[in-house]
Amino acid sequence: MTATLTTPAVLAEGHRTPRQLRWLLRLHRPAALAWTAFVLLTGAALLWLGGPLTDAAAQAWKAYNACAFGSRCSYDQDAILTYKDTYTYTTFAVLGAPFLVAAWAGAALTGRELESGTVRLAWTQAVSPVRWLAARLAFPALLITVSTGLLAWLHRRAWTAGDGRIDTAKPWHDVATFYAGGVVPVALALAGLALGALAGLLLRRSLPALAATVLGVGALWAAVHTAMPYLWPTVTKVSGLGEGPQGDGFIAGEGVITAGGDRVAAPCTSIFNQGCKAELTELKAVSFYRDYHPVSHTWPLNLVASGILLLLTALLVVTALRLVRRRTA
Amino acid sequence: MVDYRIDRRSGVATYVQIVQQTKQALRLGLLMPGDKLPTAREVVEATAVNPNTVLKAYRELEREGLVEARRGLGTFVRRSLGAAPADSPLRAELEDWAARAREAGLEREDVAALFTAVLDTQFPHRTAEGDPS
Amino acid sequence: MTEPAIEAAALAKRFGRRRDAWALRDCSFRVPAGRVCAVVGPNGAGKSTLLALAAGLLVPTEGTVTVLGTDPAAARPRIGFVDQDKPLYPQLTVAETLRMGADLNPGRWDAGTAHDVVAAGSLDPGKRIRALSGGQRTRVALALALGKRPELLLLDEPMADLDPLARHDLMGVLMGQAAAHGTTIVMSSHVVAELEDSCDHLLLLGGGRVRLAGEIDEVLAAHTRLSAPAGTTLAPHRVVETRTTGRQLSALIRPAGPLPGDWRTCAPSLEELLLSYLRNPEAPSSADTTTEAAA
Repeated sequence: MTATLTTPAVLAEGHRTPRQLRWLLRLHRPAALAWTAFVLLTGAALLWLGGPLTDAAAQAWKAYNACAFGSRCSYDQDAILTYKDTYTYTTFAVLGAPFLVAAWAGAALTGRELESGTVRLAWTQAVSPVRWLAARLAFPALLITVSTGLLAWLHRRAWTAGDGRIDTAKPWHDVATFYAGGVVPVALALAGLALGALAGLLLRRSLPALAATVLGVGALWAAVHTAMPYLWPTVTKVSGLGEGPQGDGFIAGEGVITAGGDRVAAPCTSIFNQGCKAELTELKAVSFYRDYHPVSHTWPLNLVASGILLLLTALLVVTALRLVRRRTA
Repeated sequence: MVDYRIDRRSGVATYVQIVQQTKQALRLGLLMPGDKLPTAREVVEATAVNPNTVLKAYRELEREGLVEARRGLGTFVRRSLGAAPADSPLRAELEDWAARAREAGLEREDVAALFTAVLDTQFPHRTAEGDPS
Repeated sequence: MTEPAIEAAALAKRFGRRRDAWALRDCSFRVPAGRVCAVVGPNGAGKSTLLALAAGLLVPTEGTVTVLGTDPAAARPRIGFVDQDKPLYPQLTVAETLRMGADLNPGRWDAGTAHDVVAAGSLDPGKRIRALSGGQRTRVALALALGKRPELLLLDEPMADLDPLARHDLMGVLMGQAAAHGTTIVMSSHVVAELEDSCDHLLLLGGGRVRLAGEIDEVLAAHTRLSAPAGTTLAPHRVVETRTTGRQLSALIRPAGPLPGDWRTCAPSLEELLLSYLRNPEAPSSADTTTEAAA
């Protein structure tokens, strides 16, 4: 930081467009640095997870499985436990990214400026308020997309490396794993950015805006997750009564098919239970059915969910820009 | 060079004060023909009065023929006023007389009263323009 | 420059939907270019709203405001605005704040002026804004606004938290700007005593309406203070304020014609005039002293 003032004797020439990016970074420097640290740490952890840690844990599992009962077993338990912990933390980190973005966007992007009055300084320079807001949305959006996308990709890579080699690796349809390795965190983070900007403009206070945005992102996620099984046509698998309902993945619905061809909710699923057998016979059940999404639906589901979130984000952005234009000259 | 002091409480319009103080400076020889008056900017930065007031004063002085404005260069003194520069023999005589008055035992108020009486006799009062009440 | 710096026609602003939420009502006035205009009025009269409308920070509910010949949004690069609480970014240093001004106002930034204003206050350029005193912050805020080389400067109570020396200094800076560049300065103020020297145009607001508008000299010339025997009728002159003590009646009026010879009259000072209007909100407003734009 220079301690002297530069004093060019002539009016500054050159760049016609105000250099907003530079000051956006300067004003939000602590948040930018914290985010960078977060991304670097999580990214490094994911790289370690998907590389050396997977190898070590896989070896340990191999050794564990080779143990016969009774004999002394030596295997690297630490590796297995470290793998499990690291996987949990990094998954939380990737899933938490949208909430970090939401908190920052709600508190600092517009809320703090409106609360402290500095928006009246920002809006009386040569930049129009709409362009001011647009810059505040565009530059962070770019950064967030790239960094969150990178983390999600690293997570998927790490999970793929462990799939099949780590005995206790989460299945693809474990909720946390499914989201962390997909595109939804990116879309959710962008939605959090837009929601934070709008909340700050509406509430004009940083703390309420922060709370509203974080809660809003949580609500969005819950809504997306609830709707998720219905976002793509399901695959139906019919199975015999002795097998129980079959089909691994996200379940949209299941039950029994009666002799008349009707679909009815299943009162129970194990025919080997006498009471259950009686109920199923009473229903004249012929087979179990399950509507579900197999692993091949991973990307369609991800993309549709993200698409809906991005549509919502676009709506929020347009609303925020129009609000600013309506309020100022 | 002349340093303007604006007395807000005197009841005299600001531009009149500037005119008067300029004339005073001319009388005392602090401003000579050819000297440059301070620019309006310099005056307002020092006194915080409206620039139009200063310009009005300078225009008044120009109207009386005491100064002239040269485009792009500034405002310059054209002629001097009165014939009593600060170091004239009249002033030396007055100082001499004041010293003698003090020795004779006169107080400041006595001297002022004496001087004002003589002034009134020699230079009869012109009615001051100004406000009623 | 013959077009007025600010021209308002039936300008009105309402916050919210309630009937008493009108901050400004039916304001029409003109501020000629190159003037130093004082906006005076009690708290809640709408001074801040007026300045914000001219700066493009608010949109009128009714009526129009034209700034420098166009709407406030188009004139944004040519207007300087300093809000009442002198908003600045607390985490920036003084030098960074000025550099931000240069970056956000490309092509118009006068670094020399900004630097001079800050240096005249002996400010350490490396000091953070949050470590500055109120007067120092005002200086930085003014430097930011002046560095833009604005044609119109809008200041909301700029001298409010300054000590007398700082007030005098910064007033000098503002007057110097007006002298050097012909900047139109519109400032709202409570300190009436200082206005008479530096301002030559007046805008008096009360209850959201314009009570007085015009050149200060003309406004003062249009009013007369008088004393007369108690009970004297003052019609047909427009009465701003009357007071009867004992057998004497004193009043401030706008003469509609020649005055009787037995009235003792004198011209009011600006302070007396403003105080009379402020004390009497129901007095008829004198919007017809608005001068036509005279360059």
